[in-house]
Amino acid sequence: MKKITLICAAGMSTSLMVTKMKEAAKKLGMEVEIRATSESKFKQYENDTDILLLGPQVGFLLNKYKQTYEPKGIKVEVIDSIDYGMMNGEKVLKNALGIQSM
Amino acid sequence: MNKINKIQGDLQKFAYNIQHNRYISAISNGLTAILPIIMIGAISSLLNSMNVAPYQDFLKSTGIKQYLSIPGSVTTDFIALYAVVAIAYKLAESFDIEGFTPGILALMSFLILTPLGNTKEIGNYLPTNWTGATGLFVAILVGLCVTRLYVYIVNKGWTIKMPDGVPETVTKSFVALLPGFVIAFIMLILRVIFAYTPFGNVHSFIFKIVQLPLQNIGSTWAAMVIGILAIQLLWFFGIHGTLAIGVSIIKPIWLALDLQNLQLFQAGMRGTNIVGWSFYMAFINLGGAGAMLGLAFVLLRAKSKRYRTLGKLALAPALCCINEPLIFGLPVVMNPTFFIPFLVAPVVIGLLAYFLISIGILPTVTGITVPLGTPVILSGFIVGGWRSALYQVVATIISGLIYWPFFRIVDNQAYEEEKLATQQK
Repeated sequence: MKKITLICAAGMSTSLMVTKMKEAAKKLGMEVEIRATSESKFKQYENDTDILLLGPQVGFLLNKYKQTYEPKGIKVEVIDSIDYGMMNGEKVLKNALGIQSM
Repeated sequence: MNKINKIQGDLQKFAYNIQHNRYISAISNGLTAILPIIMIGAISSLLNSMNVAPYQDFLKSTGIKQYLSIPGSVTTDFIALYAVVAIAYKLAESFDIEGFTPGILALMSFLILTPLGNTKEIGNYLPTNWTGATGLFVAILVGLCVTRLYVYIVNKGWTIKMPDGVPETVTKSFVALLPGFVIAFIMLILRVIFAYTPFGNVHSFIFKIVQLPLQNIGSTWAAMVIGILAIQLLWFFGIHGTLAIGVSIIKPIWLALDLQNLQLFQAGMRGTNIVGWSFYMAFINLGGAGAMLGLAFVLLRAKSKRYRTLGKLALAPALCCINEPLIFGLPVVMNPTFFIPFLVAPVVIGLLAYFLISIGILPTVTGITVPLGTPVILSGFIVGGWRSALYQVVATIISGLIYWPFFRIVDNQAYEEEKLATQQK
């Protein structure tokens, strides 16, 4: 099962996103584990994450996270800001899992 | 467009550098870590001093009042002690070193630098004149310096090594022994040096030379405006400005002002500082950076379906001061239409709050910082009572009115697009 972790400043707006992504996963019948946390607390999930998504507002951290976590096999991406704002859980989930939009 | 991309890139680098300067993040993470302590003190003084006569009579006649004041005084009056441990701990973590030892060494150092009182009856005691808000900057400096020294000494390998087979707990405490002595010695020398200056001690020196001037600047309306504009500008380029410079740079100064207010509040008086972190969170960050709660309401009445949907989605989070749906959904980020209201709205409601407090229509905030995510109106009530809560409503309307004409431009456009799309079908 894929494990996705979302991070932003306090883990608040990403937790909204997580709710939407979980709904989408249920609808699509996918088995994924999704969680949100604050940027400063990500360390405790680093061994429990396959895909790390950054909220666009902390997108400036992308390079740092890529350098640290891509060698460990974690895929790191910034969530598209419009999808984030519109809380488009399905699209963000599909993008994260690398599924082409149907 | 290239120029804008370059600005964005530069700002991102700037935000990254501030956010990832280990000393700055140790300060902001340390201060965040003691939030529970601050909250416990704040809420207990709120409960203790709520000005309702029957309630106060009840507290006094049952004898609850004297006990209810204890959490307030052992938290707010000693906030620097908590801060020094937390900041040292967080800095040590950034060096991948266990934070406990540097944390308690920093506490010891702070106490070495703080003059004790002495009376015949009770012997030595720790007066609270430097352990509350007035000692906060020394706490920050000591927390950073002690950990840095500790890390330096440990990395140099100047530690006592125990032979194999000695239990790890013992080994660990011996590792801390030599750095501990060095740090204690240095702090003692500092204490002696300052005793011979006109200031008498480190606290008095830092307070007069660093903390007081910074606070005096930080408590002005001009500093407030500059702070808001800087935060907003970063957000406009899609960078979390509140985190990057709000929490990292501005908060330590504003928090000290809040804590002063809180100390006065505990003594039954109103604080004298108008601006502070609590003020910012309650009166400016209304619905998130840019005071966007008003805009969320405007969106509910949008002509276009797209923005009405966004409004429904964004309103509940905005009530809890989370505005990412609006910032990225409208979008506001890099959108020239929203540049002006996004910068102006928080400045206007901030200045208005400042003005109303200074002429006494609104009370100064008690200094209680509400946790992020506390719903509007409730947060206003906690920081200053019903008048502050009412101001939040007024400010929301004002910011909504400021955003409204600009929003109409994008709404009309979206409406036309939607009409065109249905016609083509």
